[in-house]
Amino acid sequence: MLLAGLVPVLAFLSVTQGSRDIALRDVLDAFGHFTQSSSVDDTVTVRLRVPRTILGLLVGAALGLAGTLLQGLTRNALADPGIMGVNAGAAFAVVGSITLLGVSGLAFHVAAAFVGALAATALVYTVGSLGRDGATPVKMALAGAAITAGLTAVTTGLLLTDLAAQQQYRFWQVGSLAGRYAPIVTGVAPFLLVGLVLALLCGRWLNALALGDDAARGLGVSLTRTRVATFLVVGLLCGAATAACGPIVFVGLVVPHVARFLCGPDYRWLLPYALVLGALLLLGADILGRVLGGTGELQVGVVLGILGAPFFVLLVRYARLAEL
Amino acid sequence: MRLRLALATAASLALALSACSSDVADDDGAEPASGASATPEGPWTFTDGSGEVVELAEVPTRIIAHAPAAAALISYGIRPVGIYGDESVDTDPNLDGVDLTGIEILGEEWGSIDVAKASTLDADLIVADWWPAEKAHSGLENSVKAKSKKLAELAPVVGPSQGGSILNLAEGYEDLAESLGADVENSQGAEDKAAFEKARDAFAAAMADKDLTALAVSPTADLLYAANPEFAPELLDFTEWGLQVVTPDAPDPDFPYWENLSWENADKYQPDVLLIDSRSFEEAKKTVAAQPTWTSIRAAEAGQLIEWPAFWLHTYADYADALTKLTADLADVDDTIGD
Repeated sequence: MLLAGLVPVLAFLSVTQGSRDIALRDVLDAFGHFTQSSSVDDTVTVRLRVPRTILGLLVGAALGLAGTLLQGLTRNALADPGIMGVNAGAAFAVVGSITLLGVSGLAFHVAAAFVGALAATALVYTVGSLGRDGATPVKMALAGAAITAGLTAVTTGLLLTDLAAQQQYRFWQVGSLAGRYAPIVTGVAPFLLVGLVLALLCGRWLNALALGDDAARGLGVSLTRTRVATFLVVGLLCGAATAACGPIVFVGLVVPHVARFLCGPDYRWLLPYALVLGALLLLGADILGRVLGGTGELQVGVVLGILGAPFFVLLVRYARLAEL
Repeated sequence: MRLRLALATAASLALALSACSSDVADDDGAEPASGASATPEGPWTFTDGSGEVVELAEVPTRIIAHAPAAAALISYGIRPVGIYGDESVDTDPNLDGVDLTGIEILGEEWGSIDVAKASTLDADLIVADWWPAEKAHSGLENSVKAKSKKLAELAPVVGPSQGGSILNLAEGYEDLAESLGADVENSQGAEDKAAFEKARDAFAAAMADKDLTALAVSPTADLLYAANPEFAPELLDFTEWGLQVVTPDAPDPDFPYWENLSWENADKYQPDVLLIDSRSFEEAKKTVAAQPTWTSIRAAEAGQLIEWPAFWLHTYADYADALTKLTADLADVDDTIGD
């Protein structure tokens, strides 16, 4: 409850704070009389910061939830969207669309990344479920790692031959909330919202899976159907998130651990906690990056790396993390 | 690494400038290889951009050159036996209109030189710009593959230093060509220099009538990069000749080529005209169309955007073309827009 209460606080900070100093009164004013031709402060507040805040909350929530689902599904405490081939698939699609199809512009990258992420997720699941015993957690993790390696190799190969693509790609691959305005937010928001709702409904299944395959079957849960459905939700969440912001690491990995630390292993509680924590973490890191960056900004991916890694080490070292 | 990337792409991405063709004419191959007809007696000495004096018993005649250096030398009738570039010879603006007949191509990608092939050319001199910040010649910088860097073992490497003006390079290559026996007075290069002086005077005269300020930028999806003229010699030249290029007051300490402006702060500087990085000119126009705050720069609102020939100019010929184009582009610019 306390955590949920922090969301509006951060959202407020996100709209009022940034690399440009705007007086609180002017921020509030901006909503009162905003039109296309109004002042720069108004434009910044309404057309830059509001979409950015919404996107930060949605993407953070999506990544937190997706990480939790994946860790539950694969029963692997190190699972995150990165090892399931999502980032690699999205990166490959972005680079491929620049070098092979010659398209450019953020909107195209978003569409390409989404398709690439979904395709990679499907491929990982298909490869992981080959064989008699179906999609076991270990096989899926291995398939994810193998497909990530393969796609990354091709992506790197394409990039090496094309300096112009490298220029465009390096802005996408950092992971940033900057420069994403209303069209992109409204484009990915429906996917994210649907994904969030579906993810929250997966709690009972994940609880059953956590008891082991045999116990889950004994409880009347269809393993295959559960895995396919959960994987689809993960693909939807990560695909849309990665499409909008580029690959953002760490949120999907660390949020489930913090959530488990706070509320224990019951997924019906874990999932809402992960949703709120993910949103808080991503938006909080973005606000820090904006305030600390001087006249520029630090990309949220950079902030997460710099601040998140030591935090995670401390957490692992000094707190007793709940077992999966 | 970021520094390296920017410098590398600097020379290599100026695709959009193909309109600025050099008028280095084809000499019908009549020029003897390496201008050998006038090769003076040795010994030969040349002071490299690094300050080191290179001394050879004979005047070098078999030269391997970095693409822009090659273009400069060829304009004085000194034809290298091999060249290496930072990008394809078909797209490198430095080589536009330069006759490469009979010249071995040793590399068409930054950081990658075919040293095995180069070693068969029996070269006695390698020519490339010297980068004082990195203490290396073009193509032989720290982050280049060790295999490519072996080029430097084939022969001494010399070249003028990058620095406060493009003319350091243009004059440096003129001096180098002369020391190698070029008849500088009666060369294409001399005509280019005259054309450059005319273009520069026309530019300065046009600027004298106005009170123009400019900001050089490279817009990207998440940040607007404002160029620091201190590290862009052509911008220092423009300022010297009357176009006041704004110096950003807070360049990135780790990468002082630019000040990073978030799009929230796009309106921090209000110049009369925006000079847009030629390496990504067309791309930039699309990028800024999606930025709600782009038009908070009054020059952008007024459509006063022109192409900035960024980080690639070397020769009098290219500089003459670039200045002529700039003078024309700036002719109709209103000088009362900015602060």
